Amino acid sequence: MATAAPPAPPATPPLRGVQPLRAGEGHSFFWRKLHSLTGIVPIGAFLVEHIVSNFEAINGPLAYAQQVKFLNSLPLVRLLEWAFIFIPLAYHAGYGVFIWLRGRSNVNVYPWAGNYMYLTQRVTGLIALAYITQHVWRQRFSGVMLPEHPGAAFHKVQMELQNPWMLAIYVIAMIATTWHFAYGVWLFAAKWGITPGDKARKRFGYVCAAGGAGLCLMGLISIWAFVGPKYANAPEDVMPPQPPGVTMPAPENPVPGSTNPEPSSLQR
Amino acid sequence: MPSTIRVEIKRQASPDTAAVTETFEIPYRPGMNITSLLGEIALNPVDVTGKATTPVTYDSNCLEEICGSCAMLINGKARMACSALVDKLEQPIRLAPLSKFPIVRDLSVDRSVLFENLKKIKAWVPIDGTYDLGAGPRQFPQVQEQRYPLSNCISCCCCMEVCPQFNDVTNFVGAATIAQTKLFNLDPAGAVLAEERLRALSGDGGIQECSFAQNCVMTCPKELPLTEAISDMERDVFVQQVKDFFTR
Repeated sequence: MATAAPPAPPATPPLRGVQPLRAGEGHSFFWRKLHSLTGIVPIGAFLVEHIVSNFEAINGPLAYAQQVKFLNSLPLVRLLEWAFIFIPLAYHAGYGVFIWLRGRSNVNVYPWAGNYMYLTQRVTGLIALAYITQHVWRQRFSGVMLPEHPGAAFHKVQMELQNPWMLAIYVIAMIATTWHFAYGVWLFAAKWGITPGDKARKRFGYVCAAGGAGLCLMGLISIWAFVGPKYANAPEDVMPPQPPGVTMPAPENPVPGSTNPEPSSLQR
Repeated sequence: MPSTIRVEIKRQASPDTAAVTETFEIPYRPGMNITSLLGEIALNPVDVTGKATTPVTYDSNCLEEICGSCAMLINGKARMACSALVDKLEQPIRLAPLSKFPIVRDLSVDRSVLFENLKKIKAWVPIDGTYDLGAGPRQFPQVQEQRYPLSNCISCCCCMEVCPQFNDVTNFVGAATIAQTKLFNLDPAGAVLAEERLRALSGDGGIQECSFAQNCVMTCPKELPLTEAISDMERDVFVQQVKDFFTR
């Protein structure tokens, strides 16, 4: 009776060091591409929306409250929030940390622009992750609930930025996040084969830099609206509470003590 | 002008022994490169302290930057020893083996991972049959011009050495293999394996691990358009994956 033959030795002994490609095996292509895509939509799209919406703060507490109320009266808003913000953000952050842990940055040996951008993308991503975690916790899930009290939004943010350390954190995070997004868009175009040519990549680099700088500037101006003298000591609430499923009108006349007697054109 | 050249070489007698640094002083001659310097040491392998040692082991063949054998770390950076001119280098010249490949001895490393990767993506044109297959399809000069720069790859592995993503955690395939995928996919006869190549590149350690630090294209001694090839191939791999998802 024949016994089972021992397995034949491999034709080539296993390599030490970096292993060859596992051709066609595994699912890392899907997960990496999903990470890349979620950075553009929905997260990048949300970042643009968030900065544009917040820019309404330059028109004062009532205008800002109107924005918060508008966003919270979108249909299925809680579902939209989880499906298009929290879950994709958590995935992008988690996989991003995984990518960061697996890279071996070598700017000390090869101090080239692209190599620095590789490192910067990881650093800004980690800053954004740390900032967004506290931002979501402190502004969305603790303190006065803004979905039901949109009128309290301006005051809540203003109180947060009274702390000079928190103000510094917001400014640093604004720069880091818009940087991460702008270079992320550039990377997306390069990595998905949209801008393969050197010239195309360079041109698109200017577009991303301009777009990122514009977003960052809008964000910083919004921060200034909360801490500048124009709306100092904003009232605690400028609108009736908005219980779930009910949308109450904004006050016809500015609430007493409002620092924004002239509503913006959006409100008229 | 100094009358001698000082060289510090990181040496290792076998894959498992500890590395030591030996310092040599070589009489200056104008126009030397690193391979002629190593040859000079082999003529009289005595270090600065007067201790006799062994000639330094390193890979080399053509001595004109076309075979790809003599890649090593010269003053910390990956480059070809034959095209690194002593007159243009800061002294003492520091030589070390490529850091991401298993060491064979001294400056000689085992770069078989590239050969394995090229086999995985079938970097060849299948022209063998049991009968005469006749003349191949015609290749237009426009395609030829796109392919020629990619065909200049000398398999030196510099692009892999300098890549932050090429390491034993990601086991990333590296730019050279991706560029060869494009070269053979563009070949009118080689294109018959294009889909298989693209599927191979989507495996773990495949093209998606690239993070576009662009060190590969900066360091490539033959100036291959590596980032362009990666960008093009990543699009093709993605399209192939989508197509496979709906049609296979």
